[in-house]
Amino acid sequence: MTVLDQLLVLSALTVVVTLLAGNRSFGGWLATLMYAGQGILLWQMSGLGYAATPVVESSLSFQVLNQTLHWRFDALSWFFALITVGAGLCSSWFSSGEWGQRYRQSGGKLGLLHFALAFNVFSMLMLLASGELLSMFIGWELVSWASFLIMAIGSATATRYAMRYLTYAIAGAMAILGAMALVYSITGSFEFDAFKAAVPAMSPSMLWMLFGLFAVGFGIKMALLPFHLWQAKAYAETPGPGAAFLGAISSRMGLFALVLVLVQLVGMAQLAKMEIPYTFLSARDLLAWIAVFTIIFPTYTALQQHDARRLLAWHGVGQTGYMLLGIVIAGDLGSAGGLMHVFNYATYQAMLFLVVTAVIHRTGTSDLNKLGGLVARMPISFFLLLIGIIGLAGLPPMNGFVSKWLIYRSLIVDANPLLFVAAVIGTLGTILSVYKLIHNIFLGQLRLEHTEVEEAPWSMLLPMVLLAAVVFVTGYFPGLVLDWVSAVQGAVGLPVLAHHLGGVAMDKGGLDMIWIVSVLLAGFGIGTLVFFAGGRSKRVHQLDNYAGGHFLTAETRYQYSDNFYPGLMHLIGPWYRKSFRWIERGFVSFIDILSQAMQGIYRNTHPVLYLLAVVVIALSWVVSQ
Amino acid sequence: MNNLLLLIALPLITAFLLPILDRVSTMLARLAGPVVLFITSAIGFWLWMQLGGQTVAIQLGGFLPPLGITFYVDQLSLLFAVAINVGTLLLWPDDGEDRLRRSILSLILAASGSGLALSGDLFNIYVFYELVAVVSYGLVASKSIPGAYAATIRYLIISAFGAVLVLTGIALVYQATGTLNLAQLAQLAPDKLNNLQGLAAFVLMLIGFGVKAELFPVNTWVPEVYATAPTRVSGLLAGVVSKLALIVIVRLLVLVFHQPEAQTVMLVLGILGVVTGELAAWRARDFNRMLAYSSIGQLGIMFIAFAIPGQAGVFAGLAVALHHLIVKPALFLLAERWGGSLEKLAGAARTSPLGAALFIVLALSLIGVPPFPGFWAKLLVLVHLGEQAQSLYYLGGLVILAGAALEANYLFRVASSFYYPDNKQELPPAHRRRDITIASVLTAGLVASVFVLSPLAERLDGIATQASDVPRYIQTVNPAALPEAQP
Amino acid sequence: MDTSLVMYIAAGGLLLIGSAGIVMSSHLVRIIFGIALLEAGANLLLLLASFREGATAPIIVDGHVPAIMADPVPQALVLTAIVIGVGILALALSLAIRVQRAYGTLDMREIRDRMAQEIADTASIDRPISSHAPLPVDVTSVPSPSEGKG
Repeated sequence: MTVLDQLLVLSALTVVVTLLAGNRSFGGWLATLMYAGQGILLWQMSGLGYAATPVVESSLSFQVLNQTLHWRFDALSWFFALITVGAGLCSSWFSSGEWGQRYRQSGGKLGLLHFALAFNVFSMLMLLASGELLSMFIGWELVSWASFLIMAIGSATATRYAMRYLTYAIAGAMAILGAMALVYSITGSFEFDAFKAAVPAMSPSMLWMLFGLFAVGFGIKMALLPFHLWQAKAYAETPGPGAAFLGAISSRMGLFALVLVLVQLVGMAQLAKMEIPYTFLSARDLLAWIAVFTIIFPTYTALQQHDARRLLAWHGVGQTGYMLLGIVIAGDLGSAGGLMHVFNYATYQAMLFLVVTAVIHRTGTSDLNKLGGLVARMPISFFLLLIGIIGLAGLPPMNGFVSKWLIYRSLIVDANPLLFVAAVIGTLGTILSVYKLIHNIFLGQLRLEHTEVEEAPWSMLLPMVLLAAVVFVTGYFPGLVLDWVSAVQGAVGLPVLAHHLGGVAMDKGGLDMIWIVSVLLAGFGIGTLVFFAGGRSKRVHQLDNYAGGHFLTAETRYQYSDNFYPGLMHLIGPWYRKSFRWIERGFVSFIDILSQAMQGIYRNTHPVLYLLAVVVIALSWVVSQ
Repeated sequence: MNNLLLLIALPLITAFLLPILDRVSTMLARLAGPVVLFITSAIGFWLWMQLGGQTVAIQLGGFLPPLGITFYVDQLSLLFAVAINVGTLLLWPDDGEDRLRRSILSLILAASGSGLALSGDLFNIYVFYELVAVVSYGLVASKSIPGAYAATIRYLIISAFGAVLVLTGIALVYQATGTLNLAQLAQLAPDKLNNLQGLAAFVLMLIGFGVKAELFPVNTWVPEVYATAPTRVSGLLAGVVSKLALIVIVRLLVLVFHQPEAQTVMLVLGILGVVTGELAAWRARDFNRMLAYSSIGQLGIMFIAFAIPGQAGVFAGLAVALHHLIVKPALFLLAERWGGSLEKLAGAARTSPLGAALFIVLALSLIGVPPFPGFWAKLLVLVHLGEQAQSLYYLGGLVILAGAALEANYLFRVASSFYYPDNKQELPPAHRRRDITIASVLTAGLVASVFVLSPLAERLDGIATQASDVPRYIQTVNPAALPEAQP
Repeated sequence: MDTSLVMYIAAGGLLLIGSAGIVMSSHLVRIIFGIALLEAGANLLLLLASFREGATAPIIVDGHVPAIMADPVPQALVLTAIVIGVGILALALSLAIRVQRAYGTLDMREIRDRMAQEIADTASIDRPISSHAPLPVDVTSVPSPSEGKG
């Protein structure tokens, strides 16, 4: 049994354990330990992450219908698997303690949540380990249905959104299946190598058809525009840690498959050669622009939300655009940025969702207009959210800065000013909305009903502290992650980024995070010293103040939370006319009308009329042959 | 191998003896039917084991071909003969006021279905087909509600028209070749039937036999009949009888009508069937009709699959057909208690958790989610469609994929409503033990087949190869060279 | 005109009249008559396959073999087909009687409407099956109190 086999078996065992014991408290802890075990097994395969071993094979293989199914890990799979298992570990840890108990007491199906989480991790590992197109599709379907399961178990509303997801997901899966059938019809096999070898010889129309089908299929899972409508609400309604897990890694499975098929097998160079007629765009440019619009629109939608979970979920939609943008630019910098962003984003998205879940756990609400000032009661959560926000906004000293820097730099190097400006606009939106998040929850005036709120329990804080530590450390020493990223680049056929522990060294100004973070910490250190040693500061109550000639009282609400950016909204508000929703609704109505018409066919008075008509038509066609 | 005729004779005799038995002892009459079907199924299984990989021709009455009627026994026909017997046994009508009549009709259905599967003579096939049709009229009307009568008479009208078309087709074939023995037709077809007359005959027979096989557009009877007939009868019709009619068409296609235009007609009608069936199912608001439309869609997929030339088409179509043969009756068994408005099914998981779980498994297989057998069947069809490299076949593939996406939506809309009821609503009734047991057995068989997928696929491949082997057919039926028939 | 052409025209005409009857009539009994005519036409067509100019019955009388013999097989087939047709007609008429007793009418349009209504009632579908009925299940819009500009 190779290490990969052990990993898959352990993951399957986790599924079984959660099925049997998920509802008990020890079940959750046991599952968490098993995720840690999977992490250890992954670490044993770390040769993949350092380009020491190219591939780890699995001894599992099936022969069905003259096709051999086999599984293997390479650097790309290992990188994503690391994120998957890490996200699963943190979510399971979070939900094993007090949160799980409260969830079970309030009627939630904790066992089912644990089972769904374990099944998600298992199916994702199966997808990541796929060895040819058929096993990739099997893994893909398993992942889609596992996501559906974890989305659907929360409540009736969650099930409705999950159904919407399912419609999109199966449509995407069918597109992929169609593309696979086409590949098989050309090459006669599902193997990756056969596909790769056949690509140069394919006709442009075939290439476009394959590109379109694969891009649509993977794009639906990644929630690229215009298929992005399902993700935000579905992720927001998933029960607490489930949402963290999904937000962290679930839609990145689409990115994994895209990198695997379109970058490793087809090649960005090939895509750059495919010109769209009558435009200056190639297929690669098309993807880049879709990515950019995916960054901009959902991020500004996020800033309009006043539910914390919806805000974070809409962010998830937007940040995928950065990852895709980086990978599509395909230089060494850009693809490194895109891939690193997958890792970075997983860490702080998981952390942010977990913090918000902790806030909901303590206060009972996620409505941003009903929170405020919790920094006084939940300081550690505040600090963790702050770290996450700095990361999400892409500011030093957190790891988000590194990946965003890489992407911006690659856009400039690649001479793409429009894309660069668009990416920066996206970051502006991100900064605005995360500030809204932290302000409305933690800063400002503490509400009367929240004056007795306690800090989140340690079972919830520890996984978040772990994630925050990862965010900070990988921000300080980005070379740690860049090692893995460059192994992926090598495996996939992208140019490898030369880097060192602190970042990237380039002629015209590189990145050295060690210097930057040290300077920042030194600056903060000096500032803190001055602040505390100066002795001029005095602790006062927040309401020990006056405004407009009146003293402030606790009952009056001074917290500014609603309509947070009125000026900006005045500018961009009219643009948000829910056009995509309108398109979606239109499509569904179209299907409904067709369906009605078909039912009308079957409900007629004279069924024999059709028979006669078809006989006449068929016979006249026969005669004309 | 002559014991094979017991598959036809025994149920027929029992059917006619049942009224007399009923006068003597009700218990005896109640048991006689299932016992006889059990015996015939056992005989069928035993003959299957004995058959191995050979093919046998039984000349009825000792009349040598082409003058007599031949029964051709290969793995495909034996499989479906056993299937109709086992299916009728599993979906045996339960006790009601017209139990006797339904038992008689079910026995005759088993007998004539076996004959239909095994027969090797075109007019004999027509006779058995009409027998199956008449019996199905009786079975569909057996729920004595006015809607059933109306649905039956409408079904009868279409079916009678279809029978006339088949007869006309047979007339054309006989005129061209002077024989109705399938083996001799296979011999003569390249010369005599590879023309306009042959194609016209095929189209007529396709549409005629297609009534039972739920071919578009002669499948307008399907939603009404499935909604008003007893659910077991619907399960039998949708599951087994439609496949029998389909196999007849496939035999004709493989043996006699080799023109590519014949396959084109099947392909076009199959595509239309999938489109209309799946789209109509999207808005279905009661369980029975949702299953009916879904059935139309799945049979459309089978027609598309069988329209692929060569052994590949037979293999792919057979896989889909056998998969549907197990799934649809199981779903109809669940519909026994769940028939009715879909909105009323909310919360069914509370009263019938096993039923809800079975529905989910069956739905996943129907949509084509790996690792269930439905996925492998659809993959086969899609792969072979892709190999054809003609735009019409690509359209067929596209339509199948779109249909699967629609199926996922409407089936899981129902499934998720099982688990999240609205607040104040009466929960749907639980299933009867008998229904749920048989449904569980069928679903368990489906799941078990996942583990033996490779050997199963090889077996099916062998069956398909044997079925598409035309020289073997001719050789088995008449080893000596045939004299030319007198036109 | 030779006999066979007349007969073919007759068979085709019967098929045509029968189909026209079924398709154009809305009275159940007329439709059943149409089926009868259709079957007659098809039987005639089948019989014509055995037609030979100047043929006699294929019976050897006193060792004398007729020069041209009519093909006996289609005649046997037609006999069977006629019997099947008669059986189906009988069944159809009995069903028509039942329908008439249940619905009080033999008009196909009304029968269809009543049947559709009955199916809808049995399935407890409250709303009428009309082409103007609103959409039953809205898969996209879910009431979302917390969405909107913040």
